[in-house]
Amino acid sequence: MRISVLPLLVKMFVKSQLEYRGAFWLDRLAQILSYGAVLTGIWIIIQKFELLGGWNWPDLALLFSFQLLAYSLGASMSFTQLAQLEEQVRLGTLDTLLTKPVNLWAYLIFSGLNIGYAGHIILAVPVLTWALVAAQIDWSLAKALFVVGSLLSATMVTGAIMTMIGATALIWVRSNHLFSIFFGFWELTRYPLNIFPAGIQAIMLSIVPLAFISPVPVAVLLDKPVPLIGDLGAPLALAAGPLLVCIAIAHWRFALGKYQGAGG
Amino acid sequence: MTALIEARGVSKRFRQHKRFPGLLGAFKTLVTSEYTEVAAVSDISFDIAAGEAVGYLGPNGAGKSTMIKMMTGILVPSGGALSVLGRTPHLQRMDNAREIGVVFGQRSQLWWDLPVIDSFTLHRRIYDIPEARYADNLKRFSELLDLTPFLDRAVRQLSLGQRMRAEIVMSLLHDPKILFLDEPTIGLDVVAKDAVRKFLAEINRERGVTIILTTHDLVDIEEICPRLIMVDHSRLIFDGELSRLRSALGSARRLTLEFTADPGPLPLTSATLTADEGLRKHYLLESDDISLVTILSEVGSDRGLKDVALHEPDIEEVIRTFYQRRNAAAAVAG
Amino acid sequence: MKAYIAFARSGFLSSLAYRNEVWANIFGKLVQVFARVAIWLAAYAGMTAVDGISIQDMVTYALLGGVVMGATRHDRLVRQVGNALKTGDVAVWLLKPVHYPLYLLAVEAGMSVYTFLLAVVPTIIIVALVYGMLPPASPFHAAMFVAFCGLSFTIHFLVAALFGVLAFWLMTIFSLEWLLQSLIVLLSGLLVPFWFFPEPFGTIASHQPMAWLVYYPSAVWLGRLDALETSVYFAFGLGWASLLAFALALLWRRASSRITVQGG
Repeated sequence: MRISVLPLLVKMFVKSQLEYRGAFWLDRLAQILSYGAVLTGIWIIIQKFELLGGWNWPDLALLFSFQLLAYSLGASMSFTQLAQLEEQVRLGTLDTLLTKPVNLWAYLIFSGLNIGYAGHIILAVPVLTWALVAAQIDWSLAKALFVVGSLLSATMVTGAIMTMIGATALIWVRSNHLFSIFFGFWELTRYPLNIFPAGIQAIMLSIVPLAFISPVPVAVLLDKPVPLIGDLGAPLALAAGPLLVCIAIAHWRFALGKYQGAGG
Repeated sequence: MTALIEARGVSKRFRQHKRFPGLLGAFKTLVTSEYTEVAAVSDISFDIAAGEAVGYLGPNGAGKSTMIKMMTGILVPSGGALSVLGRTPHLQRMDNAREIGVVFGQRSQLWWDLPVIDSFTLHRRIYDIPEARYADNLKRFSELLDLTPFLDRAVRQLSLGQRMRAEIVMSLLHDPKILFLDEPTIGLDVVAKDAVRKFLAEINRERGVTIILTTHDLVDIEEICPRLIMVDHSRLIFDGELSRLRSALGSARRLTLEFTADPGPLPLTSATLTADEGLRKHYLLESDDISLVTILSEVGSDRGLKDVALHEPDIEEVIRTFYQRRNAAAAVAG
Repeated sequence: MKAYIAFARSGFLSSLAYRNEVWANIFGKLVQVFARVAIWLAAYAGMTAVDGISIQDMVTYALLGGVVMGATRHDRLVRQVGNALKTGDVAVWLLKPVHYPLYLLAVEAGMSVYTFLLAVVPTIIIVALVYGMLPPASPFHAAMFVAFCGLSFTIHFLVAALFGVLAFWLMTIFSLEWLLQSLIVLLSGLLVPFWFFPEPFGTIASHQPMAWLVYYPSAVWLGRLDALETSVYFAFGLGWASLLAFALALLWRRASSRITVQGG
């Protein structure tokens, strides 16, 4: 399949959504309010308590907005498309895609590229920009590059994990319960890793490596200690993305094989 | 020479998670992980040559869709060997996909909110169809199936018949060697069905596109597919010409005799009485050998016979009889 | 009445039918409760009390949030009501001798009982064992807690249904869902109790209907209100519930008559 088909898929998808333009910005506003509410909640706590696990308000705002941005970028390329996989398997519409000379994953992702994350990004970017300035960061070229690199890696971590969860729809038909588990842990990534018990920290640094989406890279950025892995925080934050992508690719292939072997 | 499609002892089994009924059963389902195995396709073999048009027939759950999915590379067979265009479909999915066309009756491949032509354009890009060939095919097929008036209309605004015609055209734009259709005429009105059947028959005749068609509608088979493969409970039960099926069953022709006045009960030796409506009596002619003349002479000229009607069995009846005989034989044997 | 009990039972059973979701549910709740407890432990950072609230109070508060709110899914309700009205499906219900909103309440009650028994209770037991949970301030407070929980469920249902009905005229179901979410995050007391809010927001927040979702039941358990205040605020809550029920009935009547007369 030619790579050039992918932009065409995106174009067609955006065109098909133009009908629903009016609702689009209203929905974005509602989402901005919702995430804003959580951020406000954190602000209220800091008003009273000044520090959370040793992190102050700009630190926490940085963490929150970094997580939101990385998540949005990653999820726009995975979440809605893969969450719908369950239904497509059930209805059999997935089968028609398998009869075409297309890469299934690429087709699914690009034909449903979710521009609905625009709201998240509109909220995250200004807050992130402010926080990068307001938090006391010891800037250097390395740090600047690290911001970009870890953000990309975090995006990849999000996309890879979502792909793996979505792929289970190919094996077990139901995958949405796994997404709920994902989002459970995902909420934790809004807060510094050190406030959680060691057990949870360990899980989030290994089996469910969501810590690399935000708590680890931001801790490195702020020169704060990273629990359990300490100095490995920086290299692992950068490597986590590409590594998980490789695992996700293998898993996807495996799941597709299973689907063809045992699917209904 | 190898056939275009070769199936040798192909089988497919599925595992289904066991569900227990009732409230207690619901809790039990929560904690057990028992499976039942279901055979969808069992030991099926056939050869299909290039240019053939084959109907794949069977009741629901007989394994038709499963067989098509294996031939198109969607599913991997549990056993046996399957070769399509000289390849194993699931192992060379992409290469196989380029040379086949697929139409799944109830699952549309067209983009719902966009004009039909947009889906076609995407199709052209996906299959890398040369511009000239694409334009040529598009024009020709759109004319044949009368698509031109609504090529620019959004798919959601089309009727089911129009949508299906568009789907079929799309599936042929890339000049596939084989066209697989899974229940394409389901839900269509009479006019649309007719248009589709004529089109498919012509495509098969003139372009030599091999057609594999699963359907419940026997007229589809009559008009498009000279050859018929029948399956039931995952097994192949018939493979051959439709005409052979008719004669294999014996032509159970139906005879209707109409009288000016009720001649009373009239059993015959040359035919079996199936219904007595007084003035009209219906008979079944079990054997092919018995001629109408024999029957009429048995009736005699003094009963007041007014009219005679002889019905060849229609295909529905042929198939139904076939299944009945099979089930009866199975009941006796098993 | 029998019909509604049957509906509740079917709500319970249909939740039971989704095997894998049970574990995912328990899991998701466990994580959320852990997160809240961890945040408060970190905020207190070793201090025993802030503004007269002890750390044990706050741990219990965090646990109670899960108990009270854990079972009801307001997003599901908003969507159900919203969709029923938008698609006109509700017309089918208007023909039956069953009041649709009451039917929904019954089904939701059944589903909530299921989630409560199989997800919330195990979660609370686990977390309470790990962190320690304070018992109710007195038998009176314990009894009132149960009453407040019933009130909380009712108001939660009413608000969600109300938002669902609003989708008929205003906005999209999606945006209303998210809007409700943002209100609940801040105004139910789920994350931060109102006694930590800067004034005058604390007072305002304590008197709007959503305060009865988490704040009041939890405050009663902890004994933050004496017998008189508890009774007064219970009555106040009932007042809000009645107002909301009235508003819901009114809007529901308007919407359904629009559907039956004009066909939606």
